[in-house]
Amino acid sequence: MRRYLPLALAAAVSPFCARAAAQDVLLQARRIVVAPDAVLDDGRVLLRQGKVAYVGTEVPAEARARARRVDYGPAFVVPGFVLAQTTLGHDADLAERALPFTPDLRAAEAADPWQEDLLELPRHGVTALALAPASGNVAGGIAALVKSGRERAVVGDDLYLTLSLARNARQAERPPTSLMGAVDLLRSAFDGVRTGIGQGPDAAVLRQAMQGTRGVFVYADNFAELNAALDLGRDFGLRLVLVGAAHAEKVLPRLVQQQAAVVLGTLRPELRRAELELPARLAVAGVPFCFGGDPELLRQSAALAVQYGLDRRSALQALTRVPAALLDRDGTLGALRQGHAADFVVFTGDPLDLSSAHVATWVDGVLVAGSEPGAAPVAEPPAAAAGVR
Amino acid sequence: MSRLASVLVPFALGTALAAQTTVFTGARILPGGAPPIADGVLVVTGGRIAAVGDAATPVPDGAAIVDCRGRTITPGLIDASFRGGAAAGDLNEQGDEVTPHLRALDSLDPDDPALARARAAGVTAVHLMPGTRNVIGGLGCVVKTAGTDPAAMLVKADVSLRIVMGSEPSAENRAIRGGRVDSIYYRRPTTRMGVVWETRRAFHEAKQALELSLGATPAPPDRGREVLQRVLRGDLTAYTTARSEQDIRTALRIAAEFGYRTVIDEAQDAWVVADELLAAQVTVLLGAPSAAQVQGSAGRDGADPRYATAKLLADRGIPFVITTGTNTAALELVREAMFAARNGVAPAQAIDAVTIAPARLLGIADRTGSLAAGKDADFVVWSHDPLDPAAVAESVHIDGKPVPASR
Repeated sequence: MRRYLPLALAAAVSPFCARAAAQDVLLQARRIVVAPDAVLDDGRVLLRQGKVAYVGTEVPAEARARARRVDYGPAFVVPGFVLAQTTLGHDADLAERALPFTPDLRAAEAADPWQEDLLELPRHGVTALALAPASGNVAGGIAALVKSGRERAVVGDDLYLTLSLARNARQAERPPTSLMGAVDLLRSAFDGVRTGIGQGPDAAVLRQAMQGTRGVFVYADNFAELNAALDLGRDFGLRLVLVGAAHAEKVLPRLVQQQAAVVLGTLRPELRRAELELPARLAVAGVPFCFGGDPELLRQSAALAVQYGLDRRSALQALTRVPAALLDRDGTLGALRQGHAADFVVFTGDPLDLSSAHVATWVDGVLVAGSEPGAAPVAEPPAAAAGVR
Repeated sequence: MSRLASVLVPFALGTALAAQTTVFTGARILPGGAPPIADGVLVVTGGRIAAVGDAATPVPDGAAIVDCRGRTITPGLIDASFRGGAAAGDLNEQGDEVTPHLRALDSLDPDDPALARARAAGVTAVHLMPGTRNVIGGLGCVVKTAGTDPAAMLVKADVSLRIVMGSEPSAENRAIRGGRVDSIYYRRPTTRMGVVWETRRAFHEAKQALELSLGATPAPPDRGREVLQRVLRGDLTAYTTARSEQDIRTALRIAAEFGYRTVIDEAQDAWVVADELLAAQVTVLLGAPSAAQVQGSAGRDGADPRYATAKLLADRGIPFVITTGTNTAALELVREAMFAARNGVAPAQAIDAVTIAPARLLGIADRTGSLAAGKDADFVVWSHDPLDPAAVAESVHIDGKPVPASR
């Protein structure tokens, strides 16, 4: 079933794809956020071959004349949201249960380009994501960059290494069962690489982490787990990003000192106040952070953070530029600057106001959800059309 | 450079604030390991004790004065066998029964409610050991009971290696009996014999490796074995948890067999084996002397605690330290000292058994456990004599800072 629907969709949009690739597009709207600190009013951006070619007044008159004009009128255009860590709810397929230590496994091998969840994401503003090994393993493996939305998702580069000190990495039926056991497992592995005892593909990944050529995302929530993760980062020189980090306010000075970053979980109104105020406190302290968790609730998380003191610019950065930077992809994702991928989302108003409706999402210069101005919307996502949800 | 500055600035601010001098006057001071001072003066500067003495002790100009008339000041109490400080399950690594290299410090949760309760009751440092579910659990550490960063709370790392006798290390292990053969719990030990066998095997292998390594190419490092070898060489003290008579005898026998130094933790049946304890010159940690029976997972071990044990140890000259230990029926540490005093231990010795005695045993007496110039300002202002049942810790100070009251 799932093979046929996307094929049908592909057939419907592919002539359009071909045209989009061939012809420049001049995107116009009342407000275009090129980056949170560069906003164009009545702006225009020229898209060429899936990338941003020119921004604002830099668009040459001759190119403007030849381009196909896409004018979203009074709408807001923002860079596509980047999800720095997700398992898309497929944790079981992204953690090798019997073995706690699998740093050289690649999430890319588990990525299904036909997965229906990926087709849903553009409607929620997400245009790029890091499919990450799940938190069930102490060393889970390597995350993969995925561009969502088109009939067949594009599984791209290998990204960071994931480690986990979270509760579900300590299981009753296989070692380690305790936090000190999990810490020891990692410390001895990194020590082994440092002293040259550790060899093989898993040691190679750890070596990249210690040399700083590969980032390290650590699942950690409570005080003890966060401290343990920061200790490892300090002792082995890791470029540390903490995932979840519900109690990060307790280790704020250490986050600043060690220049660690945070991927937050979904914010919900019923959370502890300290958790709701955390984004604002991280912003004031200068700790890079982005919104994560449930991809469908990214805007809600950002709006709640704003309600609890976060400035709007930081909130938008935490959906776009910061996660792109945490993936070492801020040269191509998370903004609409020249040379960046033409990934953007159109809303009727400010995306941080939840009353603003989604209008369209484009990935690599192609409309993948919503509609062009004055045109019928592209086909419903197949899962919805098939009545799956 | 900017990173360096951001580290230095708070440090400089901290020094400026901490350099403030506070003087506590008028209290009866029990300095720990020294005679009481009736009308005492305690001078605290920069998180450390600047001076302790009688009413004639000079008070620095500009110091803040705290009137403590009618109160008693003691050193912060030290619990040399503390249950808590980490989330449930995090102090027992069930992957193996012998894990000498695991560090309890790695599981420390500064937010643990047991730490908050302990510091509110006047305990300023605790000896945190791995749990009792492993035969050889791992390395213990001493931490202050207040703080947010384990590295800053740490007083001394790797102070002990916990070994456990009795039924606890075998409690969850099992033969197949229809269960899964691939379970990590399908393993030895399932008996007391098995517990002893595992201990002996671990030390035997460590000793053999030590002997073989003399003059030979070194064996590949094994971190667990290296810890056991530190115990064999006398660089690290074993803390053997042994409650019943047979377990205490076994603990002493294995220590003598391999020639390592051990402390007997819990030691409920110490009154039965006082001669052996004296002969072996071991220090005894007496867990919860107020408890008439052992409660918790070690309850079935058959130990028979007696109220008179503390006095017996004192009379026989067996060095002992009072702790709360693993007994779930334990009271606050100061009340355990009170019970020991009620049952015949001299009051001064009862206080020493929760202050300077554990500090010396754990090797931290240069920093805490008594009130003397130069030591950390860890102390408690009690409403009454601390051995009075009505005594309440009115304020508890760690490194000169009052910890938030939770009463």
